[in-house]
Amino acid sequence: MKEFRTHLMVCGGTGCVSNNAFKIKEALEREIKKLDLEDEVLVVMTGCNGFCAQGPIMVVQPDGVFYQMLTEKDIPHLVEEHLLKGRPVKKLMYTPSEKKKPIPKMSDIGFFSKQRLIALRNRGLVDPEKIDEYIAREGYKALAKALTLMSPEEIIKEIKDSGLRGRGGAGFPTGRKWELARNAPGEQKYIVCNADEGDPGAFMDRSVIEADPHSVLEGMIIGARAIGTFHGFIYIRNEYPLALERLIKAIEQAREYGLLGEKIFGSDFDFDITVHRGAGAFVCGEETALMACIEGRVGRPRPRPPYPAEKGLWGKPTNINNVETWANIPLIILRGSKWFSEIGTQTSKGTKVFSLVGKINNTGLLEVPMGITLREIIYDIGGGIPGGKRFKAVQTGGPSGGCIPAELIDLHVDYEELTKVGSMMGSGGMVVMDETTCMVDVAKYFITFCMDESCGQCTPCREGIERMLDILTEICEGKGKEGDIELLEELAYAIVDGSLCGLGGTASNPVLTTIRYFRDEYEAHIKEKRCPAHVCKALIQYFIDEEKCNGCGLCLKQCPVDAVIGELKEPHSIDQAKCSKCGICYESCKFEAVRVE
Amino acid sequence: MVNLKIDGQKIEVEEGTTILKAASELSIEIPTLCYHPALEPYQACRVCVVEMVQNGRSKLVASCGRVVEEGMVVKTDSERAKRARRLFVELLLARAPASELLQDLARKVGIEVSRFKTKKEDEKCILCGLCVRVCNDVMKIGAIGFANRGAKIEVTPPFKEFSKVCTTCGACAFVCPTGAIKLEEITENKVTPLLSEFDEGLEKRPCIYIPFPQAVPNKPVIDRENCMYFKTGNCKICETVCQPKAILYDQEDTIIEEDIGAIVVATGYDLMDISQIGEYGGGRFKDVIDALTFERYLAPAGPTSGKVIRPSDGKVPREVAFVSCAGSRDPEHGVAYCSRLCCMYLIKQAMLYKHAVHDGQAYIFYIDIRSNGKGYEEFVQRAKEEDNVIYIRGKVSKIAEDNGKLRLWGVDTLTGEQIELNADMVVTANAMLPSTGVKELASKLRIPTDSHGWLQEAHLKLRPMETLTNGIFIAGAAQSPKDITDSVAQASGAAAKVLALFSQDYILGNPVIAYVDEEICAGCGTCETICEYTAVEVDPLRNVAVVNEALCEGCGACAGACPSGAMQHKNFTKKQLFDMVEIATEKY
Ligand SMILES: Cc1cc2nc3c(=O)[nH]c(=O)nc-3n(C[C@H](O)[C@H](O)[C@H](O)COP(=O)(O)O)c2cc1C
Ligand code: SF4
Ligand code: FES
Repeated sequence: MKEFRTHLMVCGGTGCVSNNAFKIKEALEREIKKLDLEDEVLVVMTGCNGFCAQGPIMVVQPDGVFYQMLTEKDIPHLVEEHLLKGRPVKKLMYTPSEKKKPIPKMSDIGFFSKQRLIALRNRGLVDPEKIDEYIAREGYKALAKALTLMSPEEIIKEIKDSGLRGRGGAGFPTGRKWELARNAPGEQKYIVCNADEGDPGAFMDRSVIEADPHSVLEGMIIGARAIGTFHGFIYIRNEYPLALERLIKAIEQAREYGLLGEKIFGSDFDFDITVHRGAGAFVCGEETALMACIEGRVGRPRPRPPYPAEKGLWGKPTNINNVETWANIPLIILRGSKWFSEIGTQTSKGTKVFSLVGKINNTGLLEVPMGITLREIIYDIGGGIPGGKRFKAVQTGGPSGGCIPAELIDLHVDYEELTKVGSMMGSGGMVVMDETTCMVDVAKYFITFCMDESCGQCTPCREGIERMLDILTEICEGKGKEGDIELLEELAYAIVDGSLCGLGGTASNPVLTTIRYFRDEYEAHIKEKRCPAHVCKALIQYFIDEEKCNGCGLCLKQCPVDAVIGELKEPHSIDQAKCSKCGICYESCKFEAVRVE
Repeated sequence: MVNLKIDGQKIEVEEGTTILKAASELSIEIPTLCYHPALEPYQACRVCVVEMVQNGRSKLVASCGRVVEEGMVVKTDSERAKRARRLFVELLLARAPASELLQDLARKVGIEVSRFKTKKEDEKCILCGLCVRVCNDVMKIGAIGFANRGAKIEVTPPFKEFSKVCTTCGACAFVCPTGAIKLEEITENKVTPLLSEFDEGLEKRPCIYIPFPQAVPNKPVIDRENCMYFKTGNCKICETVCQPKAILYDQEDTIIEEDIGAIVVATGYDLMDISQIGEYGGGRFKDVIDALTFERYLAPAGPTSGKVIRPSDGKVPREVAFVSCAGSRDPEHGVAYCSRLCCMYLIKQAMLYKHAVHDGQAYIFYIDIRSNGKGYEEFVQRAKEEDNVIYIRGKVSKIAEDNGKLRLWGVDTLTGEQIELNADMVVTANAMLPSTGVKELASKLRIPTDSHGWLQEAHLKLRPMETLTNGIFIAGAAQSPKDITDSVAQASGAAAKVLALFSQDYILGNPVIAYVDEEICAGCGTCETICEYTAVEVDPLRNVAVVNEALCEGCGACAGACPSGAMQHKNFTKKQLFDMVEIATEKY
């Protein structure tokens, strides 16, 4: 292989690609050619770097200098300065808002320094489309070890000892699941990788596949060996074209290298993988619905038991794991269960990938050790709340997770702690909310999602969620009644208690946690017909403070419904009958004369 | 075997049993909606939830599908289970307020009205999925399915178009517990329900059915021609729901051979089909019905529970015309005879009609009233006097439909005037005909029929229940139109004749029977063909005629026909005959 002095690792994750990362790559290559650096500098497209908020991103290796928010215009200057003259370009570096000094090295940036990468160990370091790069970073070494030095029982024991739990939501111990599938009677068995990832705003699994597809494949091959199957499926949503493309390429390369197919590593072990594209419904991520989809039936869950380990695909024992779970396997085999189990908390071992979104400075993808506090995630990694606003709550666990209030910011994030406060790990979505968020409105938002995504089979979920939405909508519209909160609680508990699958079984979490932690906000809506966060349109009024208004006329011009009235240079006022409560006047006023109550 | 406890009671059941089934063995009732024994448990309506305690953990499970496990403790009536169940019923009631099934269940669990908003007041469907599952999983057709998901889910054929593949088997409507499924809304094909023969087509009947109440034996039969299993190999729902496992699809018709001593032929009659009477609408007018159909309307256990309505629009008819002699006493329709009972049953029906519709008016058209039985004439008078039935003497010549009414034309033969009458409904007393197939039977039994096809008695006055063949008797309307009284009388007589026959140790035969002189017989078989009583056969080995003495009636046909003179009559030979003639004429 040719040696290069410098590698430019350009992020090729979906976030950066949609911000023109490929154009940046072309521009870089053009400049490098122009300056005759072709033999010294190599441009590499990597998987998602994680710091999506700052895209497009590029890391210069081996120095580790981190460049962000690149535009095509910046490239000639950057190439000339950094690569020719050896002077890193400060203005393209990350600059945290508090300290005005730019931080050159990626490892010094708060967003990265607290992270610990296992599932994402290769992110930004390899070209996901090249198997050799994966191999160069110890790829498929774990497979070799598992196939040549370990018996299936030993592999399972290793995974059991590591304490790895499913990353797809429920957190079932992976080793035990494998054991169940291995011990299930029957010749024909299957394994499945769940890459459906239907949660809105979540992109953990996509990033893992985009950044390092071979880690998932290697995990699956090891799992196949342990469980005793020669056929695996990857169920991936069709809305992930880049991940899909890289996955298919990776499978082809692995076949070429004899890592998939017959007699892997010269052993007597055969295994191959079929990719199944899903048409994107949240409920299809539920394992029994997912299996129905692979079998070509409608994606609707069925009651468990029987569990997939007893009766899965086409009635055969089947083991389903999440993308991230699979991606953890190789490193556990390679470094040993002891190493892995030292990371994390008593009950939750290892790391977890989260997608951090919402009212947060550094939106992006992060992998952190279990047991890290919410405070560390939100402030140290996430860089706090933008605009100096107050942190109010964080919702974890996807659409049916719970909202954790600011008081619990020092909570240690692991499976049990999250469940204790009424939320859950879920697949790792994290939505941060600030003081401008109305918690009733939030509950309504998530409930709407669950209602749309409910498969509609069972009564509690299909009917109950819709009735909860009715009540929440009325509360937001100022039509809330005494007793609504209690009725919501009654519904919420019965839905959790009686639903057929996990969707209904968790859908009430947003309602239950917001009532639990923000009951006063519900009461303000119902009793005082007031929305404390000024979000629910029916409960707020915009008006103009005559003292402050100098009659500049800006709001009058911008109001789309001509509700603002007044003469130039005279204090204006708002015609409440016309006002549609869009809030444009509030945003546009430079003198803070528009008030909302 | 698995041991568990349900509501404090211990029970041992087979492995694989569901909680629901185990509970039913203890007579513990758990409500269900989406469960059907012929289908895999769906576990979706969730009204069957019960609390299950296992390994110190308690949770709600759907009892219809959850299989029992050793040491399981089940509480079907715990507060938690009841609360959830009640709420689910309440939620469903808001979705499908028009479903009677749900209303009943709601009442049972203590719900008066649902606290939740209803989207559609006339909705019946509770989305139990029974129809979809039976169509897909059992009938393997797939004409309907669920469209959309979540709260928008609905049952429909693909693309909401009328289904081409629907075979109109009706399984969906059969399993639907709420009546929400309408076959006509699903299929592109013509829906032809199977109609109950017993109810004269007024009611539908399934493919497996008990032919009529108090049938003997009182057991269901399968209509093989229409049964989906015999047509397609799918379904078998009856087999899955029949607990004693009595359904055997491979059962075949068998021929049973029995030796018997006597036969009573009581094959009854048929009614002339209304379509043969063109001038009365010939089956074209819905509201012209025959009296047997009207009988079903009057029956308290009939399809309308005794309510008299018009077939065309279901309205109560205010004026009903009863027409006697529809086909009878009318050589033009091939029936010269009087059907004998119409006069009386029309009067009964007119009276019952009046009792059902108090302000109704009954008219009876008649040629003359034949009320010659015990108490019959008094009955006629009562109809006139108490129930104000109006009698019009004359035959109806024509019926026409006119603006939702029926118009009858005829002549009042008392006044000689032409009359026209409007009625809401017409009931015709159709002529009675020998039942179909009786001719074939008669020829098998070698008993003659008369010119109309009624069975011929041995002697009209002296031997009315016997036939010319020994040991074969007739009873009831097989012989000629008869009412119940006469039928019972004749049947009793026939039975007595049989008993008389059986009470003897020997059957006394006629001494004058055929006899073959085997020396002369050439085995030509003329006697065999001519014998009405199958009493002569040619022995194929010896090639001579052989007489069955028990069957031979001594009619002499064979002796007369025998070309060689081998066939003679015992005790009545030619020689004896001529000798007798000689002696009798000696004097002269
Ligand atoms: C409504 C619903 C949606 C789900 N979606 C996903 C998903 O998108 N990805 C996933 O890995 N697991 C999802 N799950 C969890 C799966 O059912 C299953 O538990 C998981 O794939 C098991 O893998 P693990 O043991 O590695 O976590 C979902 C579950 C429910 C109830
Ligand atoms: S809980 Fe919801 S998604 Fe799950 S089976 Fe029931 S209706 Fe379908
Ligand atoms: S009857 Fe058991 S869930 Fe419907």
